[in-house]
Amino acid sequence: MKYFFSGLILVAIVIWMAAFASPDRNLHLIACDVGQGDAILAVYGEIQILVDGGANDEVINCLDRYMPFSDRKIEVVLLSHPQLDHFGGLREVFRRFQVEYFVANSLDSSSQSYQSLKSLVGGSGASLVFPTTGSTIRLGLLHLDIVWPSDDFLAMEDNFSDNKILGAFTSKRDPNEFSIVAILRLEEFDALLTGDIGPEVINEIIQTDKVHNVEYIKVPHHGSKNGLTQELLDITLPEVAVISVGKNSYGHPHKEILELLEEREILMKRTDMDGDIEIISDGESWWIN
Amino acid sequence: MTFKPLFWLFLIILIIGRFVTTRPDFSNGDKIRITEKVSSEPIRYETSQRLIIGRLKTYLPKFPEINYGDIVVVEGMVEDGKLIDPKLVDLNFATGVLYKTRKRIIENFQKSLPEPHSSLVAGVTLGSKSGIPQDFWEALRETGTAHVVVASGMNVTLVAGFLIGILILFFSRKKAVILALIGIWIYSFLSGFDAPIVRAAIMGSIAFTAQGLGRLYAAGRALFLSAAIMLIIRPDWLTDLGFILSFVATGSLMLFERKIANLIRFVPGIFREGLSTSLAAQIGVAPILFATFGQFNLLSPVINALVLWTIAPITVMGAVAGMIGLISITLGKSILLLSFPLTTWFIEIVKAFG
Repeated sequence: MKYFFSGLILVAIVIWMAAFASPDRNLHLIACDVGQGDAILAVYGEIQILVDGGANDEVINCLDRYMPFSDRKIEVVLLSHPQLDHFGGLREVFRRFQVEYFVANSLDSSSQSYQSLKSLVGGSGASLVFPTTGSTIRLGLLHLDIVWPSDDFLAMEDNFSDNKILGAFTSKRDPNEFSIVAILRLEEFDALLTGDIGPEVINEIIQTDKVHNVEYIKVPHHGSKNGLTQELLDITLPEVAVISVGKNSYGHPHKEILELLEEREILMKRTDMDGDIEIISDGESWWIN
Repeated sequence: MTFKPLFWLFLIILIIGRFVTTRPDFSNGDKIRITEKVSSEPIRYETSQRLIIGRLKTYLPKFPEINYGDIVVVEGMVEDGKLIDPKLVDLNFATGVLYKTRKRIIENFQKSLPEPHSSLVAGVTLGSKSGIPQDFWEALRETGTAHVVVASGMNVTLVAGFLIGILILFFSRKKAVILALIGIWIYSFLSGFDAPIVRAAIMGSIAFTAQGLGRLYAAGRALFLSAAIMLIIRPDWLTDLGFILSFVATGSLMLFERKIANLIRFVPGIFREGLSTSLAAQIGVAPILFATFGQFNLLSPVINALVLWTIAPITVMGAVAGMIGLISITLGKSILLLSFPLTTWFIEIVKAFG
């Protein structure tokens, strides 16, 4: 009888804790502090979208900080491109969370850890989505408008195939150029998520006419000068720029990029200095937590 | 009566003999290749994992992940108890049902609860320490509460008590004891067969057998007998910190716990047992910890008192959820969720002091 009552009390406490931890009605866009790498989490109500998973398992701690404890489902995991500093932590994500959609491109990587991620994804029951320029992924009021890669760009690859499987083709090009670029949109709030794209691809992206005025930009390629360009800033006019960067040997973020942002008086945040960067929006205005 | 001292003398000689003859005979600079079954769970760091192979500390890259029970072939050079420049030549995954079961249970914990809650439950119920986030592990060490997440004898005692409590409802006393014994040993195997677990399993077995046979059980003697049995089978445990701490702590508990409990009757009931146990254990353990790690937290008994009461229910819920989770993850998860308030309490206290 004693145990029965203790059990009931625990049930009551769990329900209260769950109620207390339940999310508000705003969009929370968090650039996780995962060291050198990208992991960006969008939380909107019960919906989570994770864009990239960083190089190590640090992303798990970020997910656990921002997701309600009873929610073990991530609606969308998007992998911009198969490089370790973007997918490294995703293995652990697939082990620990139920993932509904895995959004990626079918470029392969020969690394052992990517092969092991592929088999984990395959066994996880997640639906695969291979989006190209112009497609949109909708989750309630949240939209992911896909800006890159374009069908034409992919078709230029010799051994590209339309097979809807992970790692369907290899390329001599830099994997960065295949980065999935998307605009995350909640009503009037737009965030441009850029993967590791560089100047060349940026020019092509601008020609697609799919990029426009945004509030938030994730600075491409960890602030490398082989990333953000003036042209992209001219066309997107962001108010806040987030650099996802950690200790690295490349000198990221490069001072050219920092200067570029400074000149335009764009508010700049860096995960290596500010930790997790959480931007909140109600669909009209935005603020930093 | 004269045979008793002789018996103990015989055991001691046997232990020394075993220790000397099983000592690996490589010296610094030797290049060696070892094939061995991994006998305890590797500790994982950000980019590496640490195994003990042939009594040598071996740091291997994090991937492929090596688990308790896997068979590894490793090459490297011996230097001061370490294997340097180690290379993993071959890895055969554990095939035993129990190894796989353990892995599945831990994975289910990780699927059901956020960190560090899931690794706390995994640590408390199965002595698994590989998934514990670095900062939480540091906090556990600083507060002197790490003993609850490494395999500890307390788990065995809890499981034994729980099993007997349930089994006695359905079986005769004798059958219940036998089944509980089997259960204890399956549990020790599942928990990675670390020294403290084995110690508790042997002592528990001696106690239960004595009960079953209607003999008097002398805890002190059982403690020494288990130490002897363990050292005969695994002489290398003589230098294992977990082994030493486990015996010293149990010995101090036997000597001081009751007296301390009488002294601190003013402490509220729920915290009293935790405080008296940890104070008693600390008498023996503190000097060893201080000598080994050079640090010791004076507040540790207080912190332990605040959190130890949560361990019994977390262990029981974790064990039940672990078993049920093998059949239905959803059901297992809902049981685990019930432990969330308790793990939250534990974690917040440890973080506050850590």
